[in-house]
Amino acid sequence: MRQTLYLAARYLAFHRIKTAILITSITLILYLPVGLRVLVAQSSERLTARAMATPLIVGAKGSPLELVLNSLYFGSDVPEKMRYAESIRIADSGLALAIPMYTRFHSQGHPIVGTGFEYFRFRGLQVESGRQIAMLGECVLGSRVAATLGVGPGDSVVSSPENVFDLAGVYPLKMHVVGILAYSDSPDDDAIFVDLKTAWVIEGLGHGHQDLSAPEAASTVLSREGGKVTANASVVQYTEITPQNIDSFHFHGDLSGNPVTAVIAVPPDQKASAILQGRYQGEGEKAQIAHPVTVMDELLDTILTVQSFVVAGAIVVGAATLASAALVFMLSLRLRRREIETLFKIGGSRRAVGTVMVSEIVAVLLAGVILAAGLTFLTSQFGSVVIRALIRM
Amino acid sequence: MRHQGFTLLALTLVAIGCGAPEPGDAPAVAPATHDAKLSVYVVNYPLAYFAERIGGDLVDVDFPAPPDGDPAFWVPDADRVAAYQGADLILLNGAGYAGWVDRVTLPPSRLVNTSMSFKDRYVVSEDAVVHSHGPEGEHDHGDTAFTTWLDPTLAIEHAAAIRDAFAAARPEHEAVFAGGFESLKTDLLELDASLEQVTAGQAQTPVLGSHPVYQYLSRRYELNLRSVHFEPDEDPDAKGWQALDEILSEHPARWMLWEAEPLATTAEKLEGRGVASVVFDPCGNVPEEGDFLTVMQRNLSNLERFLAGP
Repeated sequence: MRQTLYLAARYLAFHRIKTAILITSITLILYLPVGLRVLVAQSSERLTARAMATPLIVGAKGSPLELVLNSLYFGSDVPEKMRYAESIRIADSGLALAIPMYTRFHSQGHPIVGTGFEYFRFRGLQVESGRQIAMLGECVLGSRVAATLGVGPGDSVVSSPENVFDLAGVYPLKMHVVGILAYSDSPDDDAIFVDLKTAWVIEGLGHGHQDLSAPEAASTVLSREGGKVTANASVVQYTEITPQNIDSFHFHGDLSGNPVTAVIAVPPDQKASAILQGRYQGEGEKAQIAHPVTVMDELLDTILTVQSFVVAGAIVVGAATLASAALVFMLSLRLRRREIETLFKIGGSRRAVGTVMVSEIVAVLLAGVILAAGLTFLTSQFGSVVIRALIRM
Repeated sequence: MRHQGFTLLALTLVAIGCGAPEPGDAPAVAPATHDAKLSVYVVNYPLAYFAERIGGDLVDVDFPAPPDGDPAFWVPDADRVAAYQGADLILLNGAGYAGWVDRVTLPPSRLVNTSMSFKDRYVVSEDAVVHSHGPEGEHDHGDTAFTTWLDPTLAIEHAAAIRDAFAAARPEHEAVFAGGFESLKTDLLELDASLEQVTAGQAQTPVLGSHPVYQYLSRRYELNLRSVHFEPDEDPDAKGWQALDEILSEHPARWMLWEAEPLATTAEKLEGRGVASVVFDPCGNVPEEGDFLTVMQRNLSNLERFLAGP
């Protein structure tokens, strides 16, 4: 046996270029469909992991996909707004923990996520440096935002105006960075987190200004009747919340009417989840409830359909390549007829000669399989990192 | 050897499959350790007292406001806010008490507005200065009176909300909380009956309040009360006395309720106007001596002493 393997190895080594081409072809036709499946599976897993960690999302009626993508990944268009009363309604029902979100605003391209304190516990986000947000006007940054902007606790970031011509609308608010979150390998690393009320201040629904009953504010008063003071448009509203002016910040009207883009609902069990979902099935409902896993599965089905075509194509190409390889082997057997005759003449049995030929084929196939397995392993370990780096480029 | 290898591989795959989360599984927010005491933070002393009476050894009640100020206007720093954030329950008074709550980040699921059950019975102050922006509409800030606990029947409702919140957080101790509540309720009902008895017949009698903090007390016992803005440790200025005289001209009160003993000079000037000073401590902060009920008993005694007359 050793002798036959030796002969097969020497033959392959002598015809190294042909051997390398054959091994490369077999490696590729094995690796391409498998590697693609591994990469797609990893990407799907990453996408669905965040969806699986989010039981239910409530939003205004519209596209569930837009609602889920914006709420989970802070991407996509900002969905239609709904009233904060919906979050209160869910919390009061006792069927789920309600975590409101408002993702309308950005700062230098990074999403500003207005949310509640429970969001951080829910996502398992820890503060790596500094502290958690405590007061109106404070923010904590995801690790990648902090690195990109080069800011840390004690610095500040400013919300981006939506429209430079809308001077009376949303205006930039200077927010104080009090903490940086630990790296979580999630979209949270790319976001700026503020209290929901701070997001409402950015929107202009809450503001601070000088005390209108003070004598210094006389020029800003339109009229005064008894205890009712009406301010004119010259009253200056603060663009930064500081310890000195925070007490002047207030909201007009009922907070339940203020906007949110989504509410993450975390039911304690399947029964509560089912009841809560049932409540949003009524025809008169102005809100919708989305099951992120279902929505992402539907999206991934579309992506996987494309993958199926690619894999099918790879299999067809692979079959053609195998057929070509078989042809190469058969042709090489013809070309080696004299060599084979020589082996017979020097005493080689049919079996021994056959074993040499088969050993050559098996060695090439085995090398191809091992290389394909190695590439697949590398893909499983580093493929998603490479893809993410390419996307960010 | 080969069979063992395959078996191990199969078992590994099964284990991985079993460990994978089911779609839709809700990741639980980490449940509280029920062996530990319930950590409760409050915004004023009456709530701290009620919580301790109801929860007993099962709760750890924290009231971090400094002992020498008015908790209604205290604003915590970031460290104190962080302490509140770590509590299992945060008991709020409601009715606009502790306005700082609207300007800090607290977990809504752990906030308990202990006056929600009587939200429709808040007293709105008519003396508030409100403002609006632009001529087209008004946004009424309308100051709401917040010393709700001075009406013992409302104090009982505060306590009931606390009991319910405790029972929801620690259902296995519901009976203990119910027992604590009943004991407190008995004491508050006795206080209510005593105050009712003492103030009987005073419905038409004009009374003054040194500060607008007695609205719920006056509503409960039908006191004909009007308020000024006098501080017990300050002599009112000329404007203050002028305002008082104007009120007295149409509201000839014979006694004024004070949060604490007024200055001797102030008391004298009031006596000169035929107005006696009666201390009725709202007890919003921790008393120097005793507890909430002993302070209320002292208030009752002060009222009794005055209304019994010479």
